[in-house]
Amino acid sequence: MAYHQGYGGQGSKHRGRGPLVPPAPDPHQLFDDTSAGFPHAQGTPGSGIDMGFNTLLADPMANVAVAYGSSIASQGKDIVHKEIHRFMSVNRLKYFFAVDTAYVTKKLALLLFPYAHQNWEVRYSRDTPLTPRQDINAPDLYIPSMAFITYILLAGIALGLQQRFSPEVLGMCASTAFVWVVIEVLALLLSLYLVTVQSDLTAFDLLAYSGYKYVGMILAVLGGLLFGSDGYYVALAWTSCALMYFLARSLRMKLHPSLVPDGMGHPRGAGRGQTYVTLGAAACQPLIVYWLTFHLVR
Amino acid sequence: MAFTLYALLQAALLFVNAIAVLHEERFLRNVGWGTEQGIGGFGEEPGIKAQLMNLIRSVRTVMRGKMKSTV
Repeated sequence: MAYHQGYGGQGSKHRGRGPLVPPAPDPHQLFDDTSAGFPHAQGTPGSGIDMGFNTLLADPMANVAVAYGSSIASQGKDIVHKEIHRFMSVNRLKYFFAVDTAYVTKKLALLLFPYAHQNWEVRYSRDTPLTPRQDINAPDLYIPSMAFITYILLAGIALGLQQRFSPEVLGMCASTAFVWVVIEVLALLLSLYLVTVQSDLTAFDLLAYSGYKYVGMILAVLGGLLFGSDGYYVALAWTSCALMYFLARSLRMKLHPSLVPDGMGHPRGAGRGQTYVTLGAAACQPLIVYWLTFHLVR
Repeated sequence: MAFTLYALLQAALLFVNAIAVLHEERFLRNVGWGTEQGIGGFGEEPGIKAQLMNLIRSVRTVMRGKMKSTV
């Protein structure tokens, strides 16, 4: 083949090219055509395709470079995937974003009025939890992330209305809100470890459940912007109660040992600890919501 | 309280360091939190205190690093 010979040295591409097609004045030609006896300047229109084919084959170094480059690129992609997979499972993350519009509307309604909902169980199908599209009780990360961004924008608007806006404040607000949620998730993980509860609550689940408070924060800030200080406190009270009830029911359903089909009797002490964890997590919500929003509504 | 991500990292580092410097022999045994006598049987219910002692011991083991002495 032409380019296998061309991989070797300088003049070899001429040797490779020689037997196949007659040489033509190649603009990409780097070296002088020193092969003797071949006529030059055969620029007839009929040999246009031959010339195109000629330029491709005429630079076998470029061919090899292209093949090598694409193999390097795919190797790089594999390395990146492997590194990311070491930290978090992308499939697990994709599960949380498998939402649709009906789920989002129903979930938002549930977050604001959870008192009428009866069945809080997360349904499973063959040991894997159902995606949020099929099960209203499944946690998702779409609502928390969208609510987080909306909260940042709303904070900017609220500060701007009070002439206290500057771009640094926006970044500080965003990182503060995010850090508080991370702290809460870490505290929840620690307390769940200490009471030795066997549940399938991963860190992403807890992040989702903690992120639902952003919806309450948005409503509280909106109430404060539209109706003043009274509106803020009313909205804060309403969303806090709804959020506490929602979180208590959801966590109790996920942590309660009587739902684990193990067969061994659940230890009494651990059950009590789980109740404490659930109630503590629910009680922290209004505190964090208040802490993160009161400085926006003066 | 305005937090940055860097502040969170600092706080986490200081917290882990605080756990790591609790010396096993000099201090924890006197308080009664040494791990040799803590974990009694293999019951299903370790209890919060045993879990905490386990956590402290594992944090210290992970943070031990290159030094092989019992720091």
